[in-house]
Amino acid sequence: MTAGAPPLVQLTGITKAFPGIIAAANVDLDVEPGEIHALLGENGAGKSTLMNILTGIYRPDAGDIRIDDCRRQFASPADAMAAGIGMVHQHFKLVRSFTVAENIHLGWERTPGLIRARDLALRTRELADRFGLAVRPDARIDELSTGEQQRVEILRVLVRRARVLIMDEPTAVLTPGEAQELFNTLRSFVAQGNAVILISHKLDEVLKIADRISVLRGGRKIATERARDCSASMLARMMVGHELPLGLTRLRRAAAAPMTAAPVLELRDVVVSDALGLTRLERISLQLHGGEILGIAGVAGNGQKELSQVMTGTRHVSSGEILLGGSDFSRRSAREFADFGVGHIPEDRLHSGLAPALSVADNALLREYRRAPVSRRGWYRPRRALALARVMASAAAVRVEDFAMPIGNLSGGNQQRLVARREMRIASRVLVAAYPARGLDVGAIDTMLRYLVELRDAGIGVILFSEELEELLNLADRIAVLCRGAITGVFDPRTASLEEIGMAMAGQRGPRG
Amino acid sequence: MAYRIQRLPTPPRAIALTARALAVGLALITAGVALAWKGASPWSLAHEVITDTFGSAFALEDLALLVSPLILTGLSVWVGLRVGAWNIGAEGQFNSGALAAAGVGLFVPGPTAVVLPLMLIAAIGGGVLWMAGPALARAYVGVSELITTLLLNFVAALLVYWLATGPWLDPGGRAIGTTARIPAEMPAVWGGVHWGLPLAVLLTLGAGTLLNYTRWGYEIRVCGANSDAARYAGMPVRRHLMTVMLLSGGLAGIAGMFEVAGTVHHLQGGISNNFGYLGIMVAVLARRSTLGVLAGAVFMALLLNSGTILSTRGVDVSIVLAVTGLVLLYTAIGDEVAHYRLVPTRELPCP
Repeated sequence: MTAGAPPLVQLTGITKAFPGIIAAANVDLDVEPGEIHALLGENGAGKSTLMNILTGIYRPDAGDIRIDDCRRQFASPADAMAAGIGMVHQHFKLVRSFTVAENIHLGWERTPGLIRARDLALRTRELADRFGLAVRPDARIDELSTGEQQRVEILRVLVRRARVLIMDEPTAVLTPGEAQELFNTLRSFVAQGNAVILISHKLDEVLKIADRISVLRGGRKIATERARDCSASMLARMMVGHELPLGLTRLRRAAAAPMTAAPVLELRDVVVSDALGLTRLERISLQLHGGEILGIAGVAGNGQKELSQVMTGTRHVSSGEILLGGSDFSRRSAREFADFGVGHIPEDRLHSGLAPALSVADNALLREYRRAPVSRRGWYRPRRALALARVMASAAAVRVEDFAMPIGNLSGGNQQRLVARREMRIASRVLVAAYPARGLDVGAIDTMLRYLVELRDAGIGVILFSEELEELLNLADRIAVLCRGAITGVFDPRTASLEEIGMAMAGQRGPRG
Repeated sequence: MAYRIQRLPTPPRAIALTARALAVGLALITAGVALAWKGASPWSLAHEVITDTFGSAFALEDLALLVSPLILTGLSVWVGLRVGAWNIGAEGQFNSGALAAAGVGLFVPGPTAVVLPLMLIAAIGGGVLWMAGPALARAYVGVSELITTLLLNFVAALLVYWLATGPWLDPGGRAIGTTARIPAEMPAVWGGVHWGLPLAVLLTLGAGTLLNYTRWGYEIRVCGANSDAARYAGMPVRRHLMTVMLLSGGLAGIAGMFEVAGTVHHLQGGISNNFGYLGIMVAVLARRSTLGVLAGAVFMALLLNSGTILSTRGVDVSIVLAVTGLVLLYTAIGDEVAHYRLVPTRELPCP
């Protein structure tokens, strides 16, 4: 940090209200050149609002934005980008039907006037190398996994000469190794007098990478501290306003159901090829027992999406077998999987788990609309549906003012909790949970993971996809590592080390569990 | 005190309705200004339109005769939208249904009580057949139904022209370009108004009930709102898409049969009278509401009727088409504006 230099970004008295809530109240924030500044806070603490104001998506009701000691008003994200402020959003802003190269060059003044796919791909490859982010220039965005899409987003902002880079949960889809690479990139980025604003829920990560940390709560800034003066428990306390019992346990309660002898879900040599004929899953064999949490570790984009899909009947296997309770389900439909008692918290909740334009009540019923009391002799009974939706919302601790309102109006965290609760209700045998804690704040993560433990203790088999190794080590009975569509190792969390698992994530064969 | 603009996720009902009313009013005012500019007197024309529309039972019957096909074509498009398909081809399915019904009516002898149901079945078949290609192409190859249904409209219209002026031309030769009178007639329910109107209303209420109060309808709504979520829940997305698209075609076909057997009693070129295209307007105006289909159809019938009246006063009929377009435009704007409101900015309490 350069002493005496004016802050690169200076927010003073930023205030923004939405119907019913004050999202930001009189927030001051300085970001110095050369620093990585972390923004911490629970869901709804005002982090996103503040950053949306800084990037010109919202206009503040009151307050000043100064960039390089010069007062600015941004009418659009393009204005902010021109002033050197770029953001990598948690929900990607990519054109899904365009290629990676096209997305990188979209709306960029440095895009050549005459566009040839080969040139764009070449330029993209060069840029990707320069910024150390591996992307496939020719791939279409909708073929990419969430993790790969995020890499494209990061690259897109970096190449636009951002001086202030705002990152919303950037490491959520990276391995520890890749996260470290990203941090190195960020470090050299700020070393040139730039700044990074890092929005994160991961306390240890923030402590490791950030120079200073600002904590928001309920739309107000609680404090800005130097990272070296902070500890995880102190930050957690500032975020939620009280102590939280962090850290979960693999320990079972005495009353918990024992692990079943026979597997409830079994995959035998499962192979999945995509529309282009590329192998996405390669001879996967796995067994899940009732009363067990099987963790699936790995970098996003290594077949997690496909694996969760074949386990829930939303995608068919190219070869191999899927058995539920001993019978062959390889050719069964998603409905038959659900009827057997397989719940599914999908990776991309908004696009595959919900119909955003339909009401909260309609969405809550997606799994139970064919059952009593909502349905009787083919009739759908809206009043019963509403009653059930209320039950679900209260179990998920989501406050819904109007159940007839489109679910797309709820916040991401609340959508996630509702989906999780909805799926837990039907998961009488198996729950396939893809990143259930992603994007939730510490308190909500704790609750979400406790749900999984509850299910396990009730004798249900749980598949937990996660990018948080710590989370898997604390929670899972076994951890299988997925790399390039194959299982590269199955570990016992009691004995395995982070390094061993990390090696398997990078493709080195480990034990077969 | 300063004010600022705030967007609401769902507009309050009263505001939404007011915005609609303002949109219609504004469209009429725009048309009035255009008429005044052309030298006509909008006030006296408006007065004539109102008295001629509501002034006599006979005029009201005319209006009712316009409402029934508009309800059905509107319902056809509206039902398609529920599953996420834009049926731009209600016009073609109308013609194809009218053609099939007329074929039965002209060439199958028998008592009316037998022939009418046969005509109805033929008309549904005609509409479904006209939709079958686009539905298959959309469900299996992902071809946009916007284009396919639209293009088939011209095929159907030309087919009707050809039959009515060629092979099926009235051998008696009394009228030019139409078939002979079809003996089977829809019974009247009130004066000159046939049973088509109450049946259209019943079909609309039935479709609304099916969509909102049955399991099948719930699945349709989910498929239409997000087919990925529908697949995730294990719903047969493709089958639902096909079924509802064919149903949409069948409804427009019924509209064609009602027109042939209830109002026109011949098959003739231009029998569809743009009802299919106006059905798109009805469906868009109705948005998600079932009753909105009925209201939209009445509104469009009023506009059409006004056009007929105006043309007898020497005003170009295209003014009505212009008003239709303006209503759509202003409604779209009004629906969006209804989301916003002005709120006074207040001082925030200090921590």
